[in-house]
Amino acid sequence: MSSDSTKIPFLKSILCLIVVYLLGHVSPLLPVSFNPLLSNLSLETLAFAEEDDEDEDEEDDEEEGEEGEEGEEGEEGEEGEEGEEEDLSYLTDIGPAAEHEFEEFSFLGLSNRKFTWAAAQLHILFASFILGCPMFVVIMEVMGARRTQGVRKAIILSNVFLGVLIGVVIGITGEIIIGIHHGVLYGMWACAFGALFVSFLNYFHRLMGLRGSALVGAITGTALAIPLTPVEHYETSGIILAIVNGAVGGLLSNGIMFAKSDYKFERLSHEITKVIGICYSFTALSGGLFLLIMLVAYKDFITYLISSFPMLFSVAYPALFILETIVMYIYVYSWDPLNKANKKGRHIVTGVILNILGLSLLVALDGPATFMQTPPKPLDEIVNISEWAKITNAGWMPLNYHRLVGNGTFGGYMVCIIGAYMYLWSDKKEEREYYDWVGYIGNLIGVAIMIPLPAMGYIFVREIYQYDATIGMYIMSDRESMFMLVQGLLVGTMFSASNIYMWVSMKRIENAERFFPAMKFGFILIVIAATIWFTPRRFFATMLPEPGMNPDMVLPDNLAFLALMVSKNTAAFCLVTVTFINYIFYTIATKTGKVAYGKINPIGPYVLIFLGFADIWLMSWMGTIRELSRMNWHIYKVFKDVTPEKFAPSLAESGFHVTTIVWTFFILMTAIIWLGIKYPKTKKKEIESPAAAPQMAE
Amino acid sequence: MNIDIIIIGCIAVLSALYALFNIFGFVGLSFGIFLILAYSILLKLKPKKQTEKTFFQNVRFKIPLIAILGAIIWVVAGKLNFPVWWQIEFVSFAMVGFAFFTLLDWKNLSVEKKSSTWIRRLIATYALASGIFITVTAQLPQFDPEFELAKLNKPPVKLSGLAGPEVIAAGREVFENNKCFNCHKVFWEGNSDRGPNLGTKQIGLYSDEYIKEQILDPRKKQAPGFEDPKSVKAMPTYYADDIEGDEMTALIAYLKTMRDPTHMPVEGKFPNQWTWWDDPEIIKEGQTVFEGTNPNTEGLNCAVCHGKDGIPMMTGALDFRNENHKDTDKMPDHIDDLLKDWPDALWYRRVTRGVDGSPMAPWGTIFPHLYLWKAEAYARTFHDPLDKRTAKRPVPPVPTKEEVEKWKTDGLFLDPLL
Repeated sequence: MSSDSTKIPFLKSILCLIVVYLLGHVSPLLPVSFNPLLSNLSLETLAFAEEDDEDEDEEDDEEEGEEGEEGEEGEEGEEGEEGEEEDLSYLTDIGPAAEHEFEEFSFLGLSNRKFTWAAAQLHILFASFILGCPMFVVIMEVMGARRTQGVRKAIILSNVFLGVLIGVVIGITGEIIIGIHHGVLYGMWACAFGALFVSFLNYFHRLMGLRGSALVGAITGTALAIPLTPVEHYETSGIILAIVNGAVGGLLSNGIMFAKSDYKFERLSHEITKVIGICYSFTALSGGLFLLIMLVAYKDFITYLISSFPMLFSVAYPALFILETIVMYIYVYSWDPLNKANKKGRHIVTGVILNILGLSLLVALDGPATFMQTPPKPLDEIVNISEWAKITNAGWMPLNYHRLVGNGTFGGYMVCIIGAYMYLWSDKKEEREYYDWVGYIGNLIGVAIMIPLPAMGYIFVREIYQYDATIGMYIMSDRESMFMLVQGLLVGTMFSASNIYMWVSMKRIENAERFFPAMKFGFILIVIAATIWFTPRRFFATMLPEPGMNPDMVLPDNLAFLALMVSKNTAAFCLVTVTFINYIFYTIATKTGKVAYGKINPIGPYVLIFLGFADIWLMSWMGTIRELSRMNWHIYKVFKDVTPEKFAPSLAESGFHVTTIVWTFFILMTAIIWLGIKYPKTKKKEIESPAAAPQMAE
Repeated sequence: MNIDIIIIGCIAVLSALYALFNIFGFVGLSFGIFLILAYSILLKLKPKKQTEKTFFQNVRFKIPLIAILGAIIWVVAGKLNFPVWWQIEFVSFAMVGFAFFTLLDWKNLSVEKKSSTWIRRLIATYALASGIFITVTAQLPQFDPEFELAKLNKPPVKLSGLAGPEVIAAGREVFENNKCFNCHKVFWEGNSDRGPNLGTKQIGLYSDEYIKEQILDPRKKQAPGFEDPKSVKAMPTYYADDIEGDEMTALIAYLKTMRDPTHMPVEGKFPNQWTWWDDPEIIKEGQTVFEGTNPNTEGLNCAVCHGKDGIPMMTGALDFRNENHKDTDKMPDHIDDLLKDWPDALWYRRVTRGVDGSPMAPWGTIFPHLYLWKAEAYARTFHDPLDKRTAKRPVPPVPTKEEVEKWKTDGLFLDPLL
């Protein structure tokens, strides 16, 4: 009976996802020019490129050299005899990697790019989950662990880890907003060392007060950050940043070391870890799928890319991957045994190591990813430079920061989704209370990490502009300009949804009404900021109007400032500020009023699901923008894309494809959440497990 | 504890204000202070007891309010010269705000008693999210990928065997492909005023070597009015790698067409622009041209006839000191305007094409027009001294597409390629 009752919600959830999936895919709102999904599945050939030449291609499969010439002759038949003499090598000239052979590909007439796109995106989404979630799973595990001696030792390490993460984020934000040279290094060193010293002292029951911890953190962090940061001239702003970061590191360390353990955190982190375990398998599966598709669809390119990073792909990546797999399984499966053996501290240390390995894997693979976009200059020397120089290209660090923070946000919103699903799947009052709280925590994490996210995106694009403004212009002013407009809309939607959730949540908190007038004012600001962010310079989709576009859809010069970065930054600043203020109200309300968990307005879980969907859609969208910004290059100006799908797909087509990918991910995740959390619960009803009990003291 | 919160709060507020001032100047600072005041007042308000509202109670004041607000936004945006699409956008966002506030005041949903309820709601949530994203991406302006594909499949520029207009057309493509329009307008065409409008600046007046140097080494000589740190770094320095050989030749050929026979060149960053009439540097160089000492115009000496100090040395020569001097009646395109009111186009025509039956030769067929414009800027100072001017001449409106095409059809240029 109980088994049935749990299977039904799961099956219903899957069923409803599929129904909406189908509904979404027969949307009547799509324009005529848009390629429906059916055309992708109908084994038709590539949409825009090859229609006319298909027959000739089939005939000339074995004679590639002649194939292009004949195709061109067909098209230029009326032009006369010149066709034979025409040099068409430009169509297959891949630039400095010219000596590398390229072959035309075929893949049962289906869109190679879309398959690759979907596999890559799914892989990144699962990878983000398994890299993003463990970051705060460890912190939550710490928050839920009783402060035994072993745990307190482990907290020293986890505090330093947290210090590094927070220091990097604050540092880079300072670097962007105030322009502090090497702000990241100041932030990272100061926060990490501040956390380390204070944690040590706290471990020995010294420095119990927050103020003292902040002071010691600031002094020690700054004292070590200054010599470790390689700048020619020390600037006051850098030193202030170090002091602030050191103080933050000290405060956090003290707060975490002496925090009262809350078992809810232990349970939450354990449940998410179970999901991580399954997602890890899906990451590997989707990664394998991605590689296989690449080998079929873009064999030459993937071979070239892998052979450009021999040490990375033959040694470092497999080693890191295998190590992470081992540590991850140890982490997942040693949870209960180590709890029982009173070795919680060791488990936390394993979690920190898992994170370090995961982040190493992330930054290692960001190397090839950014190499494709910003290969080191001069490009003529690309074959002579070291592998390390290829990895540490101009876009590498900014993408590392962006993905670090992006994954954190992603993880937070995935927790929201887990909380929301489990809330809907729970019947018992206690369970509902607990999962209501999970949603609250997920949103807290998501919002907190999302606040610096626009700054990370900004620094990444800024680096791209500095590397080659043509890419930046392609994104911001040319064929991807409308894509960026959609991004603005999505960011506005996410910030709005997060704030609506906070509003809904606060309605179940006693005495929270005092914040409502101020929050409503904040919502007005959000709408205004979103409007400014959305306002484009022109309402046509390319830099110059192409045939069929209306050239009058341009803002007059005197109003053009609304479309410039300064206005967009103002809007972003406003969105972040309002969200931050609401976040403070929310936090104060939860501290000063009684929260009626389990009694949230039932719209709450749906807002969380909407929020999670928007976040994952946005993440996929930004990945699309980044990939398409290389234009007709696999590796910008090094390895040309000479395949039929070298053009940017239309906005409608991209939007639909991204939605398809996100749906696929959601269907899989729904199954994973059920399999990882809900299904074991039904089993536990039959055999009571002691695993859920808090661990005993050492 | 309270003191701690106050201290931390003060530091946070001051930091935020400092950051706002740093990024947005006094506007940002004022906005920050406004926010603090608004929030302080709103937090002091006595909260109303939250009551559940029916749908009608929820929207009964909001609907008329949003109707009035939408109308105000529409009218104000129209008055501010926003095109209609932006008016629609602003009103649409006002509607989003309406939906937003309606949702905030929405009464609590009923608790799901049956699984069909949450399934229905879950479907609605996913449908709403997917519907918004699919609809938005489908309804926003689209491009046809075939245009890009056609561009990508075009052969690289090869000039051998091409005639002038084809070279210019190829240069235009190079200009487009390198996204020069992103920062440089060409008269009416283009995106932003980040860099000089190459049309109104008349970059085509300059020598091939100068134009090439500006492309390859843009930091060497900054355009007047673009000396601010942001502008100095704006022009990328990698074009030496990207544009070479035939592409560069074609690009320069296209840039050389950027001329305006009806207006003096314009300098400066929008909106702080000026014409060469009021540019001391130009006038100084114009004097050397006028007086025959400029090495670039060897053989040209306006002062021989018009006088070094403006006193004509030859009968019939225009006396630049007399602002009420009339145009010559020897030319069929004679106009009645006095010298002080001469349009730029007349100055240009008289100097480049000369005056029939007079020693005033068509200097435009001999000397670079760049220097002739400069000489004209100087000549005007005889009746309108630079140090006596109280205001600069207004910057002429940017020529429209039709006007630019008319110059060619009317044969205003001497060069047949223009």
